Amino acid sequence: MTDLDARLARLRGSAPPRRHTARTIAALTTNPGCARRAVLDAAGVDKERLAAHVGFPARFGQSRFAITRGNAFESQVKANGCAELLSLLREKLGLPVDEVGYHDLESVGGNESNEVRHARARTLITRAARAADDPGTLFDHPLLRLDVGGRAVYLEPDLIAFRLRGRFHVVEIKSFPVIDGQADPTKVAAAAIQSAVYVLAMRAMLAEQGLDPETVSHEIVLVCPRDFANQPVATLVDVRKQLLVLRRQLARLTRIEELLDALPADLTLDLRPDADGVPTATADELGASLGRVDARYAPECLSACEIAYFCRHEARGDTAALGRTVREELGGVESVDTALGLAREELRPSVEQEEAAALLRAAARLRAEHLGARA
Amino acid sequence: MAESAEELERRIDGLRTAVRQALMAGDRTRAAALRRDLRQAEREWDDVVAGLAEAVAPVPAPRAEAALLPVREQVHHALTLLSVPAAPRLIIEVHRAFFAGEIPGARLTSLRRDEERSFRLAPFARPYYLCAVLSADLLSPARGLLAVSTWPVQQRMIGPLSPRVDFLTSAIRVAEHVERLPEVGPRATRLLWRFATNLPGLAAELDDVAPAAVVAAARAELEIHEEADRATRAAAADRAVHQLDDAGRLFGGPRLRVLPRPAEGLL
Repeated sequence: MTDLDARLARLRGSAPPRRHTARTIAALTTNPGCARRAVLDAAGVDKERLAAHVGFPARFGQSRFAITRGNAFESQVKANGCAELLSLLREKLGLPVDEVGYHDLESVGGNESNEVRHARARTLITRAARAADDPGTLFDHPLLRLDVGGRAVYLEPDLIAFRLRGRFHVVEIKSFPVIDGQADPTKVAAAAIQSAVYVLAMRAMLAEQGLDPETVSHEIVLVCPRDFANQPVATLVDVRKQLLVLRRQLARLTRIEELLDALPADLTLDLRPDADGVPTATADELGASLGRVDARYAPECLSACEIAYFCRHEARGDTAALGRTVREELGGVESVDTALGLAREELRPSVEQEEAAALLRAAARLRAEHLGARA
Repeated sequence: MAESAEELERRIDGLRTAVRQALMAGDRTRAAALRRDLRQAEREWDDVVAGLAEAVAPVPAPRAEAALLPVREQVHHALTLLSVPAAPRLIIEVHRAFFAGEIPGARLTSLRRDEERSFRLAPFARPYYLCAVLSADLLSPARGLLAVSTWPVQQRMIGPLSPRVDFLTSAIRVAEHVERLPEVGPRATRLLWRFATNLPGLAAELDDVAPAAVVAAARAELEIHEEADRATRAAAADRAVHQLDDAGRLFGGPRLRVLPRPAEGLL
């Protein structure tokens, strides 16, 4: 473990590590075959700075205003002993009136280190799971741990876990509005997969303590502002499907050690900032180092990964860069040039390319007929 | 007063030019002497201008009453009304609803630290301090809550049930205060409404919230939690009295640090 840590630290360089969040894990599962993302995330590299420095700044990310808005809404819902949240849960889930116990797990006696917070969250939640009459109902910001690609990752959670009739539910507070009972489906999907990460982590924690992991419900409570007001509304979301996807993808993630073994030992992505924090490593140098780590670019990456533009640039000319459907249809044909050559019958297809070549030739013939007829 | 502000300004300008010329001519001693004169003139100008301000000042600007009271007094008023520990936001809202003037929110962030510093320098020199609320299990200061040092120790403890109990108690106190008012302002109505929306059994009559109904609803729920909460707080208060010194009882014990092996039962 220490050896692994040292290698990851060398890869990251002098900057402090970035923490994994449910967001990054959810993103990781959208492209589990990408070694580059897995290695960079495991090492805690600041991908955004790195991408900007090699000349491909990310054109997405969470807006500062969205973050502020999210925090304000969350603190409103949790204000005064979770008053608003309690009324929602009572109304929606029939939480008994006497269940109001609240534990703040954001810091433990002024100590905010991961180990202490996780230990405390584990103790309190398992105690509540064991004893039915424990006064714990709401657990604010429990720090959870999840095994990602062979490495334990602390999740800075943005949630409340709450216990109802012996089962735990994850409460996710999001600031996108539910208008007339409808919310943006992509945002709901993102919230669902993030909550699924928390459910999985909580289940892992209970299982570790010898308790039934199914105590954590697959139904999560999503709290959003209603319509155009600040009034919160709660919705139950079933995340069973997301849990399945997540579990499968996490299992498929190649173990970090194997990925690192394939890389040169002295590889580093250190920006080497000088005293003023200005990077001194050249863009070419870093780009070359990044290139040593295999990526699997897909167009979906653009909305989920900070270095996607770099990967897209690198993958230009590959059939994979055109999307998953194209890659699947053109199995065995790696580059666009080969594909064009096969279509024009300038290249002889190998055995495994024959199926794809037939498709390409048919497509080329159709195209020629179509354009020829029009001309 | 020898010279007027205008005359001094002219003299300062002249001296600045002279300093520049002396420096350009390479005459450092003369430049130093001129600089001294310049600083003297500038000081005189400051005095004259201050005098002018005083001469004009007698008509006080119609300012908000907020400035009349220090922030800690304002917070003390709001907390005394609530009678339970509260978060800065609620304190500001309560003050806005029932008292004149506005509490500047930014000032509240450093208030507890300032109070602690003042207490440690001269313990019990002030009639009251705005202090921390201690978590019942670890006796460490709870995040973002303020209390008054003259309250009994158990009132300044916070167990798992206390946030709700404190919320219900504040609801009762706010409703009672509204009932006493001859005229209820829109802010007070809104505050009461905010409490009422989160009390069980009141949802149906939101248009016109009767303070008596709020009191009844909050009392009914309070009865359920009160006893268990009181026991937790009393036990914690007992420990705080025995384990902590005066400053610790008000502002929390020493910070928890990571030990190689945490004691069983603590974590």
